[in-house]
Amino acid sequence: MSTGPGRFEQVYDEHVVAIYRYVYARVGNRPDAEDLTAQVFVRAVEQLDTTRQPGQIAAWLYRVAQNAIADYWRAFYRLPLIGVDHVAPGWEPADDKLRPEPAPDDRASVRVEALLRGLPDRYRKVLELRFLQRLSVAETAQAMGISSGNAKVLQYRALRKAALIGDGTDG
Amino acid sequence: MADERDPRAERFERYLDALLGGDRPSPDDVASGDEPEMARLAAEMAGAVGPQRAEPDPAFVEQLRLRMRAADEGLVAIHVPPPVRERGQSHGVEPAGRRAWHLTRRQVLQGGIGAAAGLAAGLIGAMVTGNRRAETPSLGADDELVAGEGFWVEVASVEELPPGSALRFSTAAFDGFVVNDDGEVRALSSVCTHMGCTLQYRPEWRDLRCPCHDASFDLTGRLANGRRAWREEPYRGDARAYPIELPNLVRPRVKVEDGRILIWTAQA
Repeated sequence: MSTGPGRFEQVYDEHVVAIYRYVYARVGNRPDAEDLTAQVFVRAVEQLDTTRQPGQIAAWLYRVAQNAIADYWRAFYRLPLIGVDHVAPGWEPADDKLRPEPAPDDRASVRVEALLRGLPDRYRKVLELRFLQRLSVAETAQAMGISSGNAKVLQYRALRKAALIGDGTDG
Repeated sequence: MADERDPRAERFERYLDALLGGDRPSPDDVASGDEPEMARLAAEMAGAVGPQRAEPDPAFVEQLRLRMRAADEGLVAIHVPPPVRERGQSHGVEPAGRRAWHLTRRQVLQGGIGAAAGLAAGLIGAMVTGNRRAETPSLGADDELVAGEGFWVEVASVEELPPGSALRFSTAAFDGFVVNDDGEVRALSSVCTHMGCTLQYRPEWRDLRCPCHDASFDLTGRLANGRRAWREEPYRGDARAYPIELPNLVRPRVKVEDGRILIWTAQA
């Protein structure tokens, strides 16, 4: 039986990178991704029963991560919970069938590409320059032959448009 | 094309600028309405595409591992009651791996790894002075850390910090908040002294709240919803007292000069 000391650390080693990636793909920046990853494992070290099946352990961790991400968007950005099955942190799935699909990063990028394709040319262009090529506002403005003020307005409208599209398709 | 300016777009650009620069974005730059959804979309785009890979920093993974190891060994953990089950749903037998936590207050105080992490984060060689402020009653909360080797670093301007607000800052050696407590500017560590989670400022409660176990620290750095405080008055909004006492938050020295807020930070 593998309940001796070090079992939790084994779980940690197996999952920390995947959980971090999962969180990072949903908050998009390192400091917040690190905080939320830490939250998940702090809960886990106290509440996770490490004698469970590996699949159930993964399911539990992703579920706690989902909740932490939902809380982040709700508490900080006042976003209502949409399509998130919010459960108490101590919750454990009864069986593996309830495991949430760990969405790999490539699925997120497929979704982003689909969103970009659905936008008018100038909107897509400004978002590609800023998010894919990581140009600054000034560089983006120069590349598009517009002022910085216009570039900010354009990206703002592009994001709003994309957010509205995303709302409709991502049910 | 005429130069167009939109204050909403200007402000939202501050959010994007931090996000795309790999820094922590501020919710303060996101207004209500469509903007939270735009922020979430931008975060997902930033996380999904672009040159910044989603790999964790090895130093972060290692540091968290050490925190988890200490917690797993039972040094610093609070007892968390088992999840409430509906009647009839109980499976009777507790899983064999369920760990029991043993802890004394002394262990917490000695082993406050969060506090230790805050110190290790750069305030090495720091010492706690006596009460520097005679006008405030002595409760230990007004001890300030004075570092040996270090320097002043600007973390915010006074303009950015109206009364009742708080700002996160990061220096090479230290993560914290500067707060404006009705005119008095203080700096506080953002590391919870229980298990090292990052605290969040709640303007409506004027406290620094830990997302991991709901400890609340007041703006002098004292635990505000512990049992001791609870005896005087139940903490607003909480159903029960936080179960253990915790050391105060680390407080670096702070000064205001020419409208700039500076904190004393150790040599990294």
